[in-house]
Amino acid sequence: MKCENCNERNATFFLEQIINGEKRSHRLCRACAEQLGLFHPGKNAIEDVFSPLLGSHTAMIDEIFGFAGQGVKAKKCEGCGVTWQELSKSGKVGCPRCYATFEAELESSIRGIHGNVTHVGTGPIKKRVSTGPVKKRVCTAREDLLEDLKKLMREAIESENFEEAARLRDKIRAESDKKGG
Amino acid sequence: MSWYQVKGAEADTVISSRIRLARNINGYTFGKRLSAEDAKEILCQVEKALSEDYTRTDMDALSSVSARALVEQHLISPDFASLKAPRALFRNDKKSIYLMALEEDHIRLQCILPGLSLQDAYRLAAECDETLNEALDIAFDDKLGYLTHCPTNLGTGLRASVMLFLPAMTERRMIPSLQHQLQKIGLTIRGMYGEGSAAHGCIYQISNQITLGLSVEDILRNLEDAVGSIITKERALRKNVTDEAALLREDRCRRAEGVLHFAKCISSEEFFSLYRDVKLGICEGIITSITHETLNTLFISVMPAMLVQNESPAPKTALARDVLRAEFIKKALEVKPRG
Ligand SMILES: [Zn+2]
Ligand SMILES: [Zn+2]
Repeated sequence: MKCENCNERNATFFLEQIINGEKRSHRLCRACAEQLGLFHPGKNAIEDVFSPLLGSHTAMIDEIFGFAGQGVKAKKCEGCGVTWQELSKSGKVGCPRCYATFEAELESSIRGIHGNVTHVGTGPIKKRVSTGPVKKRVCTAREDLLEDLKKLMREAIESENFEEAARLRDKIRAESDKKGG
Repeated sequence: MSWYQVKGAEADTVISSRIRLARNINGYTFGKRLSAEDAKEILCQVEKALSEDYTRTDMDALSSVSARALVEQHLISPDFASLKAPRALFRNDKKSIYLMALEEDHIRLQCILPGLSLQDAYRLAAECDETLNEALDIAFDDKLGYLTHCPTNLGTGLRASVMLFLPAMTERRMIPSLQHQLQKIGLTIRGMYGEGSAAHGCIYQISNQITLGLSVEDILRNLEDAVGSIITKERALRKNVTDEAALLREDRCRRAEGVLHFAKCISSEEFFSLYRDVKLGICEGIITSITHETLNTLFISVMPAMLVQNESPAPKTALARDVLRAEFIKKALEVKPRG
């Protein structure tokens, strides 16, 4: 995700400001955060980062795994006993359950890394579901041949007969070319 | 046979394809938080989950040279070789799957194949993954996908990578701009051997950076498409040279071939540049007495730990190792009839 100030570098700072009861969030890169006086390299104390913002409103700024509000620091994962402070220091979770425990705290970090927070695709299939009889595909003779060759190649790779697999691969290419031309 | 002993698809530009899946078991902690008993339990669970085709190697039982030799073959990570905690490598008989148990994650399942073969590598890895999923309580969340020690591997837990040989793009200093372009589409490139030196091996690894929010199919297609256009570019650049440059290139290739046959000592750094020139010579049809698979095997076999692991007594000095390397190369090339 790009920094909203320069729109060039990746955003690693996520800032939430509550002004007159209205919540605003900003995403900035390190350089812009520094430039805007929201981050001072070398000073890790959270108060230093907060100083320009404290007073009329509350705010939270956190670099990826960098900072977090005081209330979060006390929370512990029931699976492994890790605290948010420990987790954010190492950048790695203590056990699979940490993701549920620190779901809210981790979200911006995960978004910062991957640009999103939602898995696409399947997971482990606990029980294999019977799909019934496989429907035979109707295909032309050449496609049949290609399918057969591909099957043979896969078998050759599985039995580690790579020379044979290479020969079959070349044959598949030749056949595909014929088909195309 | 190992991946490097076999010629793969697009051998002129692609050395190998690798799939790595990160998996973890519910109910166990990660890394330093994992107790010794739990570690033993995990290793035992993984062993039971895998079929009899797999051989278990406890890393504690390996000498450091043997462990480093596995790193040099790209079969395990450097971290896995040097960790001090209990951990085991599981290999199948077909030498296509290498599973690191208790690396950063409980399970790091890898498949490595020669040449450009990401789909086949993924299919083999997925088969093993299914076996594990059936037998173990794998940590998975509907929203975040496979749960991993480090959030950088969430989602698919898939790291797909291709090792490429790019001498022409390197020579024309095109790698930095390539790096920039790849970054935009969520891929990274890193140099593997002697980067930035005269002994540049021109070998790079390209892999996906994002594991969450993209399907396995999209990750593989994205990488394949990028690799495809890099291959096309590299080939075009190799062809597009002046007669003079072609002559100088041929001279360089033949000199490198001569050094492999006749030198008395060869350092591993020097070998990287010799590899580059000889490999290019094979690609261009200049060198016909050496095949891609022979050269790749040689490349792996003369790495520092691979070279000395079966030597006794082990050579004591760097010079003695370089002499041994030159002798090894000479012998390996003699087997093939010349011409
Ligand atoms: Zn910025
Ligand atoms: Zn935990």
